[in-house]
This record gives sequence, C-alpha cells and structure tokens, in this order.
Amino acid sequence: MKINAFSKTYEGRKVLDMPEMELTSGKIYAVIGANGSGKSTLAKCLAGILTTDQKQQILSPDISVGYMPQKSYAFRMNVEKNIFLGSKDLIRAKKLMKDLQIEHLAKKSAAKLSGGETARMALGRVLMKTFDLLILDEPTAAMDMETTSLTENLLMEYCRETGCVLLLVTHSLQQARRVADEVFFYYKGKLVESGKKEHVLYSPEMEETQKFLKFYGE
Amino acid sequence: MKKRLAVLLAMAMMASVFSGCGKKEEAPAEAPAVETEAPAEEEKTEVPAEEPAKEEAVVVNTVILKEADDKMLNTYSVLAVDPEAPFVDADGKAVEGVAVNTAGADALIQWLLSEEAKTLAAEYGKEEYNDTLFYVKEDAPAFEGEIAKATEETKTIRLSTTTSVNDSGLLGAILPVFEGEYGYTVEIQSAGTGKAIAAAKNGNADLILVHSKSQEEAFVAEGFARVLEGFESERLSFLYNYYVLCGPTEDPAGAASAATVMDAFKAIADGKHVFISRGDNSGTHTKEISLWPEELGITVEPESFADYTEWYTSANTGMGACLMMAEEMEGYILTDKATFLTFVANNGVM
Amino acid sequence: MQSALAKAVALILSADAELCNILSVTAKMSISSSLIALILGVPIGIWLGSSRFRGQSILLIINRTLMGMPPVVCGLIFYMLFSGVGPFGKWKWLFSVRIMILAQVVLILPIVVGNMETYVTGIAQTVKETAKGLGLSGWKTFFLLMNECVYQICSTYLLAFARSIAEVGAVSMVGGAIAWKTNVMTTAIMQYTNRGNFSLGIALGLILMTISLVVNILISVMQRRINR
Repeated sequence: MKINAFSKTYEGRKVLDMPEMELTSGKIYAVIGANGSGKSTLAKCLAGILTTDQKQQILSPDISVGYMPQKSYAFRMNVEKNIFLGSKDLIRAKKLMKDLQIEHLAKKSAAKLSGGETARMALGRVLMKTFDLLILDEPTAAMDMETTSLTENLLMEYCRETGCVLLLVTHSLQQARRVADEVFFYYKGKLVESGKKEHVLYSPEMEETQKFLKFYGE
Repeated sequence: MKKRLAVLLAMAMMASVFSGCGKKEEAPAEAPAVETEAPAEEEKTEVPAEEPAKEEAVVVNTVILKEADDKMLNTYSVLAVDPEAPFVDADGKAVEGVAVNTAGADALIQWLLSEEAKTLAAEYGKEEYNDTLFYVKEDAPAFEGEIAKATEETKTIRLSTTTSVNDSGLLGAILPVFEGEYGYTVEIQSAGTGKAIAAAKNGNADLILVHSKSQEEAFVAEGFARVLEGFESERLSFLYNYYVLCGPTEDPAGAASAATVMDAFKAIADGKHVFISRGDNSGTHTKEISLWPEELGITVEPESFADYTEWYTSANTGMGACLMMAEEMEGYILTDKATFLTFVANNGVM
Repeated sequence: MQSALAKAVALILSADAELCNILSVTAKMSISSSLIALILGVPIGIWLGSSRFRGQSILLIINRTLMGMPPVVCGLIFYMLFSGVGPFGKWKWLFSVRIMILAQVVLILPIVVGNMETYVTGIAQTVKETAKGLGLSGWKTFFLLMNECVYQICSTYLLAFARSIAEVGAVSMVGGAIAWKTNVMTTAIMQYTNRGNFSLGIALGLILMTISLVVNILISVMQRRINR
C-alpha cells in the first residue's frame, strides 16, 4: 500500500515530516526513536486521528486501519464485552483471550484490571477485526517480560496469517530486533533512516542512527 | 455502604432538629415576660411560652380615633380592565388584540356588588375575631339582575389584587360561593398594589381589586378601566375598613394619647422611634406617606427618607412580614385592621 | 423549631387538600423540568465535551454565563414574553405550570450541559481514539461515551432536580403562585413568610427538604447499582 507524503505542524513547530512510502502486506514495520521524535504522531496521523497539514488522504480510502493508542481506554463493562466492541466474533474472541492469557478475566470488570491486563485486553480488542493496516503504539509498554514475549509471538503469527501490514511503534530496540522486518528511525520528526532491520539496526548509515543505537545500547 | 450512610444522615438530621428544639424553648421564655401584655381574653389561652406575640398597643382600640379619623379610611374598589385599553409592550410599542375576559369580569363584579356578596363580606371574620373586618359602603353600587353563567371561553377569570386583600382571607371565603353558583374559576394573583395594577396593564388580568384611590384614578385616567353596563363609574368602591396605627405596648411616642393620627405620626417622627413602612407602593404604603408631617418630605422615593433611616425602616415586603418586623424591632406600623387581627389572633403568626 | 416540626407533621397527617395540591404541582413541575433538561442537556454536554471545533470556547463561555443567570431575571424575561402585551401572549401560557417548566428548563439546561461537558472533556479524547482505532462509527462512539457517563448522568440529574425544586424566583413570576393551580412548595413558603407566618413556612421547608433527601437517597442507591 502506498502512503502519500505528509507533514504535521503543531503550534507552529513541524513535529513530523514523512516522505512517500510503500508498505508490503504481511510485513512488520517497527518505528523507533527517542521520546518526542514523532513516533506517536506518525501513528495518529496514519490512523486518522490527527489531520495532516496537507489535509488530504495519506492512504487510499479503501484500506481499513486499526489503531491501538498508547493509553487504551477500558470501557465500563467487563473484559469480554470490551473485546466484543472490536467485533462480535465469538470464536475469535475466545481464541484471542486464550492466546493473550486473559480468559480467566472474561467476566471481570475492566476497570479493575492491572496495567498489563488492560494492555492485553486492549490488544485483543483491536485484533478482533482484521485490518489492512494495523498500527500499535507501544502495546507492550505496560507488560512484563513474559507477557511481552507472548504478545510478540502472537503478533508475528497474526501478521503472517492475515497478511496485514503491522506498524509497531516501540521504544524498545530489543523488541524491534526481535519482531520487525523493516525499521523506521525517527529523529526530531524526520525520517532519518529506513530499511531492512539488519541494515538499520546493525549497520546504520546515518550518524543520528548510530548515536541512537549507541545510546540505547545493545 | 452509601445507603447506610444516607440513612444515618437522615437520622442525624431529625435528631438535630429535635435536640435543637429543646434549647430554643428556654431563650424566648425570658423575653416575652418583659413585654407580655395580653390585649384580649382569648389570646391569653392560646399563647405558648415561646411565642412572643402580643406586644402591640392598638391605637384604634381608643374608640374616638377610630370613628373620627377619616384619614385612616381604607376603601376597596373593583375595576374592570378595558380590552380596548392602550396596552404597550416592553418596548413601549402599542399592542393590539389583548385578550380580556370581559364576560367573566362582568359576572364577578356584578356578583361582588350583589346583596349576597356584600352580606358575606360584611359577615366575614365576625365570629372568629369578634370584630368587623370589612364594612360595606353605604353608597356602594348595587347589582340586582341576573348574572351570566360560565361558558367554555369565559370560565377563567383572572383577578389581580393586593396581598393585603388576599391575606385577610376574604376572597378565599366568599369566592367559592360565586364559583359554585355560576361555574367560573377565579385565578387570584396577589402582589403589592403597584405590581397588581401593572399586571392588569400588561394584559394579565381581567379585573383588579385594590385599595389605593390615587393609583386607581390614574389607572382610569390612562384608559385601562371600563364602565360596566348599568353603572356610572369605572371605579366601583364597595367595601371599606380602617387602617390602624400599631406600636409597642410601652408606646414611647405617646401615640395612643395623641389627638389625631397625624399628631401621633408627628410624635413618632420627632422622637425618632422605629417605624416600619411597607415601602412597596402598596395602598397601605401610600396611605402611610400621607400621614407624615409635610416638613419631613417623605415620599415613595427612597431618596426622600435617606436621612431618616435610623428610625424609618422601609421593608418592601408583605403586611404580615412587616408586622413580624415591627414585633421584632418594637416599632410602630400602619396596618389594615383585618391583617392585624389575624396576626394577633394567631399569636403573632398567620 | 419544635412548633415547626409539629406543624409539619400535623399538616401531613391531616392530608390537607391544599397541601396535597401544592405537593402534586411541585412534583409535576420539578420532575418534568429536571427530566427535560437532562434529556436535552446530556447529549449537548457530551457533544460539547468531545468535539473540537472553532467557536467551541465561545459556546462554553456562553453556557457558563447562562449557568449564572439569576432565576428572577429568567422569570422576568418569560413574563414579558408571555404577558398579555407580549409577543406570545396569545398562547395563554402565562400563569400555567407549562411555562414554569419552560422557565426552569432554561435555567437548568446550562447546568446540565456544563456538568456533562466538564466530565466528558476528561475522557473524550482517549475514548475517541480507542473507538476510532477499532473502526467504530461516530454514533457508536457517541453512545459508548454516553454509557461511560451513566454515573455522572445520575449525579447531574440530582443536581438538576435539586435546583428545580428549590427554585422560587422564576416560578413565582411566571406562575403567579395561583392557589390550586401554580402554587408550589417554594412559592407557598414565600407566601406564608410574607404574611408573617414564619413557622408554617419552616414547616413546609422541612417537608421540602425531606422530599429532596428521599430523591437523593433513591438516586444514590441507583448509582451504586450502576457502578457494580
């Protein structure tokens, strides 16, 4: 799918500059960068939550986009009903809840969940429908290592099976290394370097990328 | 948890109310001892310790003042609103076609001027208070013909009257007879005289029953009243009673012993004794203004009595509340007798 | 105070016909105006709190100003509009319960809107993002948002009802406190007070507050159930 070039200005400052892009289905794209580099802005613009400066479509309108925000909202109902907000597919719900290990919480009130449990519920919710483009903004930020690993495997399997494009915003280099096919590195709102994982994460060309990798370390 | 809290709160409220009662009773028991003067037999039996009511020295009880003092005459008149009157809206623009229930107003006025109504009015309150509250004017216009019964369109009659009239209970006593016989429903709006007349001028009343001659004459002069068939005047005065000057039992101004009511007023002013004025442009208020010595220059305008505020208290509220104020402040007050009698008979409350 | 309480109980026990009429008019008026204000105000408040558009802050300022409108001013405006000489005099709404309800709705609506808006503003952004991310339609999002506010809607109703039942400035002006027709608790209390009958006024006041208390308890219980 093609993404048109766009930029986003906020209060006079240009916070994001995105060149034209081509994304291949079935691939996982990791978006990395320091805080404030524009990763979340990118996610929100693609998801249609923020309007770009150009004010026109950045994606073809027949592409369905799913999005999980950094702070996901737990609605005033039980976990099961929250998940059904994604779609009413019973079988799929059961499977997802099982895979995410939140089956036992099905009837529990969503307000009473821990941070990690909420994140898993939110993820399950957004996975209920198969989108062409799925954007996840730091989905495992609140999860512990074991659950993170579980989630990552689930996502990779999901992507392969459904053939969707997965755009994963992450602050964890390790996660990018484990999961991504291709990587976008953002620095101060600009896409500094992009390309295959091996290339960007192991032998980056740009100075900023190298500095970033060194700072956030192996 | 919340439910239990709520119930506890309700119980606490009730408890505080009950406990608060005990304390209240002690304090008032002392105060009335100083002022207690039971002016009439029946009041003694009715007064409980905590109610300090009866400290009014009623000047009118001095028989001579009551008869001779035309200055305290209070005449009630009924006027029908003219649908062709020069109504204006809030901006001053003329308004056409204001709805006035002339048939209903006619019926009510005719009935008020009938023997039946006059008798009822004269009898009102006689038994209860052992005194006449309303007298029928000797020269009051009379109606003897047939009164039309109510129809769908004319059923509702809007009567605008003053608080003094309404609070005396007269209308509540006699109007049901009218309503029962002829099938009308009388909607009574009661307010201070000024507001009562304004209601008619705003097209919100079919007839008015007030007791302020100057304001009634102005109403007629401005073209808002009409003459009923068979009668001569727009102003139909049919009842009267007397204002009375009331004050504390001690009567520091010596009002009771004054020669005329105007002398009494002068004494009050000279001694700077607390006086409660209605202050609301009502009939009572206008009458009161007329009784002050001219040099004082007291009028309805607030500026006129700005210098006297240490004793001249302009209350701007109903008669009963003003009486309460006079009670509290041990002041003098001009009131209509009906309201005063009701006030006293109910031990200081109505 | 004791006489007031005794009077209150005596009044109720005697099932005085006029008191019953006053109570029923009060009930009819308060319930109607608070419900109408709620039904109109909740969607508006939610909409104001969740949308972002030019002129939004102006609307909010207007709403906040209307919240502070003195009831007697509101009463006066409606009196002039529906007076015999006023533009709507022909409708004959003056001195009816209908116009009392109308005036009260105008007074209470901004409060309902303001209350909902304040609450929704806090959660709207996240809810909208999440809902959009799931591909939900605008209407579905709106109803979801409303569902999130149910507890808040209950407490807003309590506020609306309390305002309505305690209000006297507007209803006395437009209703005229006509016996057997438009006399409500508050105007009756005022009448008795103006006549000097303070203890009867307090008695009625106690009855009024008890009614308020009962309503409060009922709705709080409901709120608790909702939150389980």
